[in-house]
Amino acid sequence: MYRKLTREETTLINRALDRWGAFEFFKGRSLMIQENGKKLVCLVPGELESVVQMQPYLAGLAIGELKKQFVPSMAGADLFARSGKRSEFYITVNENAEKLVLYGRDVMSESIVDASDRLGENELVIILNSRLEAIGIGRTRFAGRSIFQKGRVTVTTVADAGYYLREEG
Amino acid sequence: MLALLALTLIFPESEKSVSLATKYGYDRWLVGRFLEYVPGVLDFIDKMEKSPTQYIRVNTLKTSREELEGRLRSKGFELKRTAIPEALAVEKAPMATGATNEYLLGHYYIQDLSSCMAVDALDVSENQAALEVAAAPGGKTTFMAQRMNNTGSIIALETSERRARSMSFNLARCGVYNTCILKMDGLQAEKLQMKFDRVLLDAPCSCEGVIAKDATRKTSHTPEDVDYCSGRQDKLIEVAARMVKPGGILVYSTCSFAPEENEMVVDRLLQKSGNIAVEPTKYGSSGLTSFGGMTFDGQLKNARRLYPHMHDTTGFFIARLRVS
Repeated sequence: MYRKLTREETTLINRALDRWGAFEFFKGRSLMIQENGKKLVCLVPGELESVVQMQPYLAGLAIGELKKQFVPSMAGADLFARSGKRSEFYITVNENAEKLVLYGRDVMSESIVDASDRLGENELVIILNSRLEAIGIGRTRFAGRSIFQKGRVTVTTVADAGYYLREEG
Repeated sequence: MLALLALTLIFPESEKSVSLATKYGYDRWLVGRFLEYVPGVLDFIDKMEKSPTQYIRVNTLKTSREELEGRLRSKGFELKRTAIPEALAVEKAPMATGATNEYLLGHYYIQDLSSCMAVDALDVSENQAALEVAAAPGGKTTFMAQRMNNTGSIIALETSERRARSMSFNLARCGVYNTCILKMDGLQAEKLQMKFDRVLLDAPCSCEGVIAKDATRKTSHTPEDVDYCSGRQDKLIEVAARMVKPGGILVYSTCSFAPEENEMVVDRLLQKSGNIAVEPTKYGSSGLTSFGGMTFDGQLKNARRLYPHMHDTTGFFIARLRVS
């Protein structure tokens, strides 16, 4: 079922979009919630709004899920990375790590080529490859410079673009 | 002398049809028909024994042709440009084409050139309203979305939950957000109470054109299957035509060579409607204007047939219909 966002949800999502540097891109664009056990946040162009009343299988693009916080989907992460201003919540990994992330593997510190000092522990980040394309979504295991400590997995991969291949079969 | 089995024409066996059917493992009735409507049958049958050319279509919502060519070539791919600017022939692939990072990131879609040509014939542009019937797995939908630059709207109808799910993955991977998937049979499309600038009906068919990809098609379908498909196509095209705004375009396509699924379907629609014209499109050979002693509307020469041995695509039929 698709429905409009509540005021509370709008606030939560606007904050999240700002966090990912994508607030400007989404200004004036219509977002809806698809409730199917989960609360998926979908970018639904105005032209589709009349069809949304027919309860479609899918309308627009699911850019993330509302849990306690907004968690971007891979499609959302890709949109944010391409259209947003990259904030401190993006990390960049090298080519070798790119392949591993796309198989769902976690990120070793040595693979990280760029990350903000201001990142906290347990922070959601969008993982970029060297071309600054979103390849995954991760969660930091350490704060600040500790993300670069040698020989450890410092970012857990929670979603990756390889998902499309694995899930679609 | 023709033998009629329901609607599908069966031609008398000849030494040639029997010998080709036996040598290449086809049902005799099918080869007998190919001899009537496929030009250069020997070349065609020979081509069906070879792996078909693989094509990819650049997703310009995410990258450019030049950028993708550069990235794939650096991995050892050899690519060749085609008549459709976004479509590239894969001449050499050092790894599975569906397993590159670029594929996972949605920079391209594996799609036959014939499918791209059907979308090209639709001539869709930004801010239009488009309808696609029997839409999954979404190759044509994602191409339409990129030609529309993710603007306007596409309503994609698909009855199967499994196929709709698969399509939703493809839309997400390609970054398409102007599309809505409705679980609906194309025959019910009028329930939408909407009219569209563009309607694409790639009708479910007997799939004669994909024998090179699926050799079971040499024997797996029967004349009754062609009859069934043809009957359903008649109904679908009538509904699809009613969904088009005046001045809009309906593209009817199938991956079959059978005139019963192609020219005859369009011919019956032309006879019934009176406000539809078949417009010429760029690629392929002319549609048939006669078959098995029957003569069709002369406009059917504007429809297009794509033959694997002549056009290096899967077998395909495309008719671009302007509704006035």
